[in-house]
Amino acid sequence: MPDVNITVDGKKVAAPAGTLLIEACKNAGIEVPSFCYYPNLSLQGACRMCLVKVEKMPKLQTACTTVISEGMIVATNSDEIRQARKSMIEFLLGNHPLDCPVCDAGGECELQDMAFSYGAAESKYMEPKNHKEEQQWSPVVYFDRPRCILCYRCVRVCGEGMDVWALGVQNRGVSSIIAPNQDDHLECEECGMCIDICPVGALTSGAYRYKTRPWEMNHVGTTCTHCADGCKTTLGVRRADTGMEIVRGDNRDKSGINGDFLCIKGRYAFDFAHHKERLTQPLIRKDGRLTPSTWEEAFEVIGSRLTEVRDCDGGQAIGVLGSTRTTNEENYLLQKFARVVLQTNNIDHHRTADFPAFVSALTERPEAAASMRDVYNAPAILLIGNDPTEQHPLLAWQIRNNVRLHRARLYVINSQPIKLRRQATSFLQIPTGAEAQLSSFLAGQDSAIDALLSGPTSRDEWISLREKLRSEPGLVIIFGSEIRGSDVVSLVKSASGIHDVKFICLGDYANSRGAADMGVYPDLLPGYQRLADPGKFHEEWGGVPRAVGFTLPEMIESATAGKLKAWYVVGANPVGRLALDPFAFSQSFVVVQDMFLTETAVIADVVLPAANAYEKSGTFTNTCGDLQLVKKAGEVTGTKSDFEIIVRIAGSMGYDVRKLVPFGRGMTADMGQSRGAQSGEVDRHGVWLEASGLELKMSPFDPMAILDEIQRLLPGYAVSRMDLLAGNAQHTALPAGKAGALHDPKLIVPADNNLFSSGTLGRYSRTLNSVIENRHKKPEELEVAAD
Amino acid sequence: MPVLKNIAAIAKGMSITFMEMFQPTIVENYPDGPGPLKGAKFQARFRGTHVLQRDENGLEKCVACFLCAANCPSNCIYIEAAENTAEQRVSGAERYAKIYNIDYNRCIFCGYCVEACPTDAITHGHGFEVATFNVSGLIYRKEQMLAPMPAHMGANAVFNQDEIGAGAPAVAVQGS
Repeated sequence: MPDVNITVDGKKVAAPAGTLLIEACKNAGIEVPSFCYYPNLSLQGACRMCLVKVEKMPKLQTACTTVISEGMIVATNSDEIRQARKSMIEFLLGNHPLDCPVCDAGGECELQDMAFSYGAAESKYMEPKNHKEEQQWSPVVYFDRPRCILCYRCVRVCGEGMDVWALGVQNRGVSSIIAPNQDDHLECEECGMCIDICPVGALTSGAYRYKTRPWEMNHVGTTCTHCADGCKTTLGVRRADTGMEIVRGDNRDKSGINGDFLCIKGRYAFDFAHHKERLTQPLIRKDGRLTPSTWEEAFEVIGSRLTEVRDCDGGQAIGVLGSTRTTNEENYLLQKFARVVLQTNNIDHHRTADFPAFVSALTERPEAAASMRDVYNAPAILLIGNDPTEQHPLLAWQIRNNVRLHRARLYVINSQPIKLRRQATSFLQIPTGAEAQLSSFLAGQDSAIDALLSGPTSRDEWISLREKLRSEPGLVIIFGSEIRGSDVVSLVKSASGIHDVKFICLGDYANSRGAADMGVYPDLLPGYQRLADPGKFHEEWGGVPRAVGFTLPEMIESATAGKLKAWYVVGANPVGRLALDPFAFSQSFVVVQDMFLTETAVIADVVLPAANAYEKSGTFTNTCGDLQLVKKAGEVTGTKSDFEIIVRIAGSMGYDVRKLVPFGRGMTADMGQSRGAQSGEVDRHGVWLEASGLELKMSPFDPMAILDEIQRLLPGYAVSRMDLLAGNAQHTALPAGKAGALHDPKLIVPADNNLFSSGTLGRYSRTLNSVIENRHKKPEELEVAAD
Repeated sequence: MPVLKNIAAIAKGMSITFMEMFQPTIVENYPDGPGPLKGAKFQARFRGTHVLQRDENGLEKCVACFLCAANCPSNCIYIEAAENTAEQRVSGAERYAKIYNIDYNRCIFCGYCVEACPTDAITHGHGFEVATFNVSGLIYRKEQMLAPMPAHMGANAVFNQDEIGAGAPAVAVQGS
């Protein structure tokens, strides 16, 4: 659009036509205060703080609702304007309680800031304030009515942004109040966006309530450990008796791929870290019972047993199960440890999406993998399977906002009437399990259409949809784990004629994609490189075992037959999540490292207390392949990160850790960002470092040393380290050439998490549980009409 | 005559000495003086160890706003906040200080915390004998700094009459 020229405070400003005056001023570096205006939400004009003087207009104008026009001359800072703003604040403070010392927003309250800038602390209004009791609307949302300044931001973000419409306004004029959708409580997604967006302390968080004050915390920006979308969450940490306690999660600086957005899990579900059942001591089975022990003894037992099994029965007798929540560095290190130290390819993880098939389908155009940001900007989106509202909240947010703000066309094909159909240009329902036929149909196989016809959609509608999709340049195709193996290939083939088409394959856990990228597969090396062609890895690691290893079902089979002598499980709970027979491994030596005594940990011979993703550094790759930094925020005494545990086990097996973690070469410009709060860490490792003849540095436990190796060997991961350390998401490219593989589709077991569950981890979050309990008390929720 | 001059100077000086001998003494006789203060005397403005005040109902004035800790130049105040409930009401507002520690190893008695306090909860008392052989004893807890219950609370306190009838021991009801 052509630029419009205006003058603001004597400064020439040019902005595209249609820009709001408040935005034009902001871009020119001139701040116009406002409460009700929020970028990307509908305009309200309620607070009247953004009053400015526009020449030739009789009265002061609200900058948030005025569109710029050619030659406009604007003054934003005259005596008249300052007086007007001061009067507005005086109005707002008329019934606003002066309880800043006990208000959770105190210190980060926009009204407080404005009152500081414009005065009006003394009121002419002498009548007593109209007090109302605070209300609890849900386990995580509290509402203090007198503090509310009626900016309607919460109402708008809940409705327009989240499409939940749980908040509304009752009454009119001076007696307006914000009210929840169900009598006295909220029935919503509990995302907490209303709390985050509230400029004052009217809406406050139940989880953070009265715990501390904003300036008392350290704020660490890291990546959420729950679903596979990889939202950036800023954790507020305070020192506690047992290390560092996380007291709050929010998206304070709004800088990540999620922008304004965070769901309930990113905002509140960090509290598993201080659950009372958290393990803080290694447990070793003695006389049939798991008894608390020391780290030294645990490493000795594991080291000697694993060495014994490897040397007597060979690597084939050892199985390794990786995690979908540990960092890329830990996954890479684990598979390297398995292949180089344990000399086995028996390594697998809980697969929730068919990434190897995705890669093999896209080897000819690896740039066709979309990033999370592409979803927000794409002109058209095709969503097949999955329910992003429940399983990928950020993805759903991006889709909704793309449709709302950019008028993108959304095509939804699902076996269930998922909520995103409300944004869809067209929604077509297919029978459950017909996704395979759908991809063949889209690929041009007309005979597959019969399987899709059970619903109200006619044959012609299906064919016209297919034609329409083929003429959608820039289409982003998003598919869930319903589409696997050869179906992925045919789906990709179906879109081969579409210009600039991109794809997203949806996994379920925070680092499901990372585990796949890092080669936690029995037949694939990092970067989906096939085992038959180890290439650079062969030279770098000094040999890779050639035989294809066991998948998880094969490990179980081998263990039942008594052939699998040792099983090493890192951060996974297959017994609980995959309904595996706990007695299958009764003849094996089982080592489990986890945060809690899970169903898998109880069958173990040694249980090691591990740190969670909020207590270590590294990187996560989200389901779109966006690489992000994980920074250490919290700390619980007694636990060790999975990275450190793997290195120590390798050390106790007599392996040279310098070869496992190639520290000291490559990029060392870490500058400490990756370590977050871990000062004094070197002191803690002093004894072991000294005993192993190593320098007193963090190097062998430094995830960045492994990231160097990853970036060296995986071309797709060669992204800017500076940008990564600065906290920006970096889109990684898929490998080109011979990579990926088609696996048995049955190996994929979707996690089926919803908004309030998160695998085994979610069970230990008090906030998530309180929300779930609260919901079960209520009658079935009803979907609210969009307006 | 320099000799006479010197004698005169000595006499002048000694006369002041002898004059002062008959004046009342102004040196404080601490720690050998009488009374609980052992002879120490204070101006009202003296900034001694802190006292956490109570309101007229005997509730703590501190609402755990952390402003004293924020204002403290030596970072010696540690607070953990908690929420008042109907059963356990500790302060007059929504929240109270569950833990309130002052580290007298670090405190410089500047009085900024007292100035910052919006509820006049923290004040300087006249306590000054803080010295100890054990530094960990210099971290004062809330219980050590809390003012005693106001005098009228003893005589006018409301007891748990209903429960006493059922045989429970008499306890003053909080906030009465």
